[in-house]
This record gives sequence, structure tokens and C-alpha cells, in this order.
Amino acid sequence: MKKPFYHYITIGIVLLYLLIPLLGTFQYSFATSWHKTILPEGFTIKWYVELFGDLRFLKSLGRSLVMSLGATILTLVIMVPAIFSIVLYAPKLEKMIQSLIVMTYAMPGIILAVGLIRAYSTSGISMVLITIGAYFVGILPYMYQGTRNSLRNINAESLMEAAEILGASRYTAFQKVIVPNIISGILVSSLLSFSILFGEFVLINLLVGGHFETVQIYLFQKLSQSGHIASAIVVCYFLLISILSAIMIKMTRKKKEPV
Amino acid sequence: MSFLTIENIKKSFDNETVLHSLNLSIKEGEFITLLGPSGCGKSTLLRTIAGLIHQDEGKIHIDGKDVTEVKPKDRQVGMVFQSYALFPNMTVQENIEFGLKMKKLDKETVKQNAAKIVELVELTGKEKSYPRELSGGQQQRVALARSLVTRPKVLLLDEPLSALDAQIRKNLQKQLRSIQQELNMTTILVTHDQEEAMAVSDYVYIMNKGQIAQSGTPHEIYTRPVNEFVARFIGNYNVLTREEVSNLFKGEKNFKNKMYAIRPEAFSEDRILDGYEISGKIQKTSMLGNITRFELEANHVSFIADRLHKIDEDAQKQETKTLYLNRKDVIPLS
Amino acid sequence: MILKRMNGMFLISIIPFFILVLLFLFVPLFFMLYSSFQGDGGSGFTFKQYLEIFQNTYYHQAFKNSIIISFFSSLIAIGLAVFATYSITLFSKKIQDRILVFANLTANFAGIPLAFAFIVILGNSGLFTLLFKHFGWDLLNSFNLYSWSGLVLIYIYFQLPLAVMLIYPVYQGIQAQWKESAALLGASPLQFWLRIGGPIILPSIAGTFSILFANAMGAYASAFALTGSTYNLVTIRIGALTTGDIFARPELGSAIATLLGVTLVVALLINEWLTRRIRRDLS
Repeated sequence: MKKPFYHYITIGIVLLYLLIPLLGTFQYSFATSWHKTILPEGFTIKWYVELFGDLRFLKSLGRSLVMSLGATILTLVIMVPAIFSIVLYAPKLEKMIQSLIVMTYAMPGIILAVGLIRAYSTSGISMVLITIGAYFVGILPYMYQGTRNSLRNINAESLMEAAEILGASRYTAFQKVIVPNIISGILVSSLLSFSILFGEFVLINLLVGGHFETVQIYLFQKLSQSGHIASAIVVCYFLLISILSAIMIKMTRKKKEPV
Repeated sequence: MSFLTIENIKKSFDNETVLHSLNLSIKEGEFITLLGPSGCGKSTLLRTIAGLIHQDEGKIHIDGKDVTEVKPKDRQVGMVFQSYALFPNMTVQENIEFGLKMKKLDKETVKQNAAKIVELVELTGKEKSYPRELSGGQQQRVALARSLVTRPKVLLLDEPLSALDAQIRKNLQKQLRSIQQELNMTTILVTHDQEEAMAVSDYVYIMNKGQIAQSGTPHEIYTRPVNEFVARFIGNYNVLTREEVSNLFKGEKNFKNKMYAIRPEAFSEDRILDGYEISGKIQKTSMLGNITRFELEANHVSFIADRLHKIDEDAQKQETKTLYLNRKDVIPLS
Repeated sequence: MILKRMNGMFLISIIPFFILVLLFLFVPLFFMLYSSFQGDGGSGFTFKQYLEIFQNTYYHQAFKNSIIISFFSSLIAIGLAVFATYSITLFSKKIQDRILVFANLTANFAGIPLAFAFIVILGNSGLFTLLFKHFGWDLLNSFNLYSWSGLVLIYIYFQLPLAVMLIYPVYQGIQAQWKESAALLGASPLQFWLRIGGPIILPSIAGTFSILFANAMGAYASAFALTGSTYNLVTIRIGALTTGDIFARPELGSAIATLLGVTLVVALLINEWLTRRIRRDLS
């Protein structure tokens, strides 16, 4: 089938729009100096060397990893059993959960941040822990969607009934039958959540601020100091979310393949 | 004089030939059926007639006009899809009026024509409903009304009844046939259900692998299959090789063809003069409503025979039955 | 009925979940609402904060800026996405998948990194700024990344992939046979889109628009990275009032945040009402 030319144009506009800032940043991160000329004066990897030689950056990377991973695992451990129980044994509660999910999805981080500051900033609890709690709320929609779809795909209700008829307790059935079957689907939404949290700035900046530097805050500090290093961070960050996406795609494809 | 002719239509997708030089001609007001298993090319042929698919080679004439290069919207053909394809944002009335409005007819004519057709398909009272509020059978009738209201020259039906329950399907088949006859509408039906094809059509084309395997009236097709494919596809024919047939009729040597077909109901328990006589051992009996089906074995050849159901059924397993068969009921296949 | 099927395991599995939701969603929302009715320094019960917002033109401007930027960025993004996504659906499955993967990837590219990427290409010494200067056109005369036009460009960037991903399934809902039926009944492609395709996808487009609008209204990081606290947006004001060291007025911040929440709820309700008006067959 031949396609009219303007279909290429519409797609081209969108792709270029999305691509140009990325390419620009990529080039800038490898440029020796780039002030007055159209093209960079030379190419170098020194910004990357400098970046990865900076202990402050490595520490912030560690903090980001711990925060994102911690919040994702917390959500995983607490939410999957809860959604499982509600979907299977209290379907009436599900309507309520769904409104809750829509609410968390539509609510901007800034509103949550204001509320958390008003509620907990004087309580003496570490605001880092509060941020992890806020992350739990933030990634609820993605984790819920993933869990719910996985349960539906494997037809969890019949699986549980079959396992229970064969003599397994509910807990055993959940652990031995349900979890192994939904794990890959849930892992995909966990990776998505992780990559969202890794790029999170609003909550951590407002709740904790500059004295607990994550990668995003480090990047923010660097913006005004060195554009080249900032570009290098952006490139690394984009690389990371690309790798995570690639893993997610691979996992979803594998799941779809006929057995 | 044929009303619709198809000459040497060829079509292939990705190097796979779907239609091999097909020829077809239909008289005005005739109801024909394209019957075949899925993937035989019957839907492709139908869509080619509608102009939704462009053939690689060949010509199509409708009512004396060459429409080979005419766009679908100007071909004056109506089509009913398996999924009905009703427009979900429009009421029954709006769906039916759509084609008339596209013709820019005046409001009064649109109203009158629509009202007439609503009555014809027995949807009076449902005009204001949306498609999703109707049952499958009702949706089907809306789809039919929508394509009939513009009085197309040819009506194309692409498995229109296959998504419905058996009971509703039977009723709609009758209704479809009577509407078609009332309007004298030239109609082409595509189906994989041979009973449906037999029940409604004047003429049946059996298709296999992009070619026409046999064509004829339902009676001809059913009683005289010409090849193995048709014999196997139509009903429950016993399809036997030459060796099997000569074994079955001990000693008969004058079978020349490779394959033969025998209708299960052709076997008789009453003696037939100058017929074949077979004594077979009953392997299994099954009840199929008004007929009883025997699976028998004679001279190491298995075959099935049907008989109208009798109240005092007496046949036992392993019992030997003597059956008779007319010579002309052993049909040679090409 | 629910109670009957509950057992110990059930409660153990759901209680921690609800406790966390309570602690980190409802408690903070309550406190925000509560302190929005307090005077400065957290005293008494008063409508003073809301009155100030309604009287002070500075906050009017913040809402106006936020709404204008959100509205235009959503409108442009959805306009582009409606056409581009339709074009995408005409290509092979493989190409469609690739474009969607790319959209998915860039949808995650937001906030600080995004703002920075735009500084690199359009900032005071950005690539395009220099390039245009070289050809004798001073971009900075007509365009300033650090103003509302720059923010709209950045907002479009994170709205566009989201819009494509939300609209893509909408086109999948248009059955090919509707188009074929319409064509056989004498409708041109344009007539099909005006009378059938358009009305069918319109509610979803409107829904997507309101998601984009809400998304933009709540966006904070990109604008903050680009302009610090200087550009007057609702979210920037909330951030500054809540955590600013010198000018902190958290009660006022809470009141603005509450109003922002109300704006979003109203936007979603309007969308729902409109959808029902447009598609009578859905109600």
C-alpha cells in the first residue's frame, strides 16, 4: 500500500522534535569547547572521566539507587499480596482501589509534597523515609496496573481454586502457584517504577533538599557550573532508562511468545 | 444474459496466490453462495467484487458496465460484514439512513425509504436504539437493512450469520432468502457452513485453494460431488479408494477411477435389483436425532451408513447387517 | 458479605497496604487542607489565605500562566499526536512498535534532564541559537527559552510522547470494516472521519487532553530547573512558599496547592460531562 507523503511528514516532525534535544545534549557531552562555533571544536571523553572520578557523583548515584530500589521493593512486597487478596476475595473493594489509583495518578507531586511537609516536617521522622513513603504512593498506579493485568492473564481465580482443591493452603497456593506465574509481569512494572523514581526530582528536592544529594539533585547543582558535565549526566541517565526499557521490552516479548 | 461477470481474476498477497484466474457469472436476481473452508479465497473474491481489494489481473462487469477500475463507493454494491460493522455512534435509524444521505437524497425520500426497509427487516420500534443495545440477530438485521436501503445492484454477504446462535441463524436464513426474493436482489453469500449454503442458494460455488472446485445447484452439488475435496467437504460422504471399493463389493473389477464417494443414506436394507450387496459387521451405532448412524466393517473396509431412526431399534454391536446399494450411488471422483 | 470471606491471611495482606496509603496519601492531604485554613504561623481558623489568593494579582497571574502554558502545550501536543499517530498506524507492525518504544522512552525523559537538553540547544549559547546567529538571524530577539514560549516548547516535549501513547490505542479501536462499510455506502474518507471516525474518537481525544492538561498543570521540575523560582507558575509558587527560607508561608502554599487540586478535579469533571454530551450512545 502506498502512503501519501504527508504521513511521513507528521511522523518526521514528532520524531525530530523528540530527537533533536537528545542529540544536541549527546554532542555537547563529548565536545571539548563549544561557545562561538557551529560545530564543537573537538571531541573528548574527559567530561565522563571527570564525572565518574567525582566521589560526590558516585555517592549521589548510590543514594538514587538505594532510594528507587528501596521504594520499588517496598511497594512490591506490600502491594502485590494486597492487590491479590482484594481482586480475588474482596472484589467490592476493587472499585475503591481503582478510584484511589486514579487519584494518585492525577495528583501532582507538588501537592503531595506540600501535604507531607505540613504533616511530618516537625515530627522528627527522617524526611528521607517520608520520601520513600511518598514514592510508594507515586508508583502505585504502575504497580497496580501490572499486578492486575498479570493476575487477569493467568486467570488467578481458577488457578487458586485448582490449587486449593488439590489440597494447598491459600498461602502455599499464592506462594507456589500465583507468584511464579505473575513474577515476570510484575518485574516489568517494577522496572518501569524504578526508572520513574530514578528521574524523580520534585519530592526529593522539596522534602529533603540539597543536603541529601541524589543524581537528579546533583545534576541540578551542576547545571549552573558545568554544562558539559551536566550533559554527560543527562546522557548517562538516558542510557540507563534505555537499558531498562530494552529489558522491559524483552521481558514482555518473551511472555507473549506462544508456549 | 449474466448480470455480474468475473473474468480471470487473479490475486496474490506476498507471493502467495489467493485467487487463480477465477471466472464466475451470475444472473440477475440470483442468490449464489461461495462455499469453502477458511483460507480458500472466498472472502478475498467477495472483497474484490466490492472493490475493497484490487485484483492483480482480470475484469469485473456489473449490469453490463466494466467496474474493474471503479472505486467501492461508486460500484453500487452493498455489503454485510461478519462483525456487522454498524456505526456505534449512530442509532438504528441513522445507520440505515447513512447511505441515502451520502446520495444526497431529499429528506422526505430518505425517511420513506428507511421506514420501508425497517418494516421489511422487522425492526419497527427499534429506530432510536443504538447498536450496542440490540441483540446479535437484531444488529444483523440492521446491517442488512443498511445495505439494502440504497438498492444496490449486488448484495454481498460475508459470513453474515456465523456469529449467531443456531436457532437465530436458521430463522435469519429464511428471512434473508425471502427478503432477497421479494426485492429480486442479486446476492452473493460467503460461508463455510454447507447447510446454510444448501438452504438459501440457487447456485453454489465450492472453492478450494483459490479455485472453484465445483459449481451447481445445491441438489447437484450434494448428490454428484465431482472430486474428493467436494465429497469430503459436503456432508459425511464415505470417500473410498479404488481398492477399498472393489474389496467392499467383493470381486467387482470395473472401477477405473482412483477415488469413489458413497452417501451414507444411500445404503438400504431393502433388496435393490441389480445393485450391490454388502454384509457388514456393526462396530458402533450413534444417534443423530432423526437418523441412526452405523459404523460398519466389511471385508476390512470401514464405512458409515445412515438410516432413519426407528423406535424399536434392534441393531447390536458385532451383529451382521446386509445392505444394498444402487450402482449409480457409487460416485466416481476425479 | 465481604466479612464472611475474610480470614487472617486476608487482613495481614491488606492492612499494611492501607496503612501506607493512609499515612502517605490521606494524612498529608488532610494536613494540607487543614493548614490552608490556618493563619500565618499555623494559628486559628481563617479564610485569610484564600482571600489573599483571590485578591492578589500576583497569584492570579500564576494561575493564568500555568493554565495558558498547560492549555497550549496540551493542545499543540494533541494536535500533532492526532495526525502523527494516525500516520503511524498506517505503517507495518514492526515500525509501529519501534516508534512506540521510542515514544515510551522519551516519555520518561522529563524534568531536570529535559530542561537541560533544551538549554543545550536553545539556551543563550545553545546550538540552534548559535546556528541561527551564524546565518544572520538572532533567535534571541524573537524567542527566549526562559519565558513562556520556551516553557511551552519544553512542555510539548514531555506531552507529545504521552499523547501518542494514549491516542494509539484509540485508533486501534476504529474497525477497518467501519471504513469499508462507509465507503460502500458512498462516503468519502473525509465524510467517514467527519460523521463516524471523528465522533467515535472524540471522547477519547478529549480524555487524553484533560490528562495532558492535568499533567502540565502539576509539572514543576522543568520550569524550576530552567527559571529557578522566578517564573510565575502555580507549582513554582507552591514550592517557593512551602520551602523557601526567607519567604516561606506554608499555609498560603497549602491554600494554593488545594486550589490547584480543585482546578484539576474541575478539569476532569468538565471533560467527563463533555464526553457524555458528545457521545449520547455511551450514556
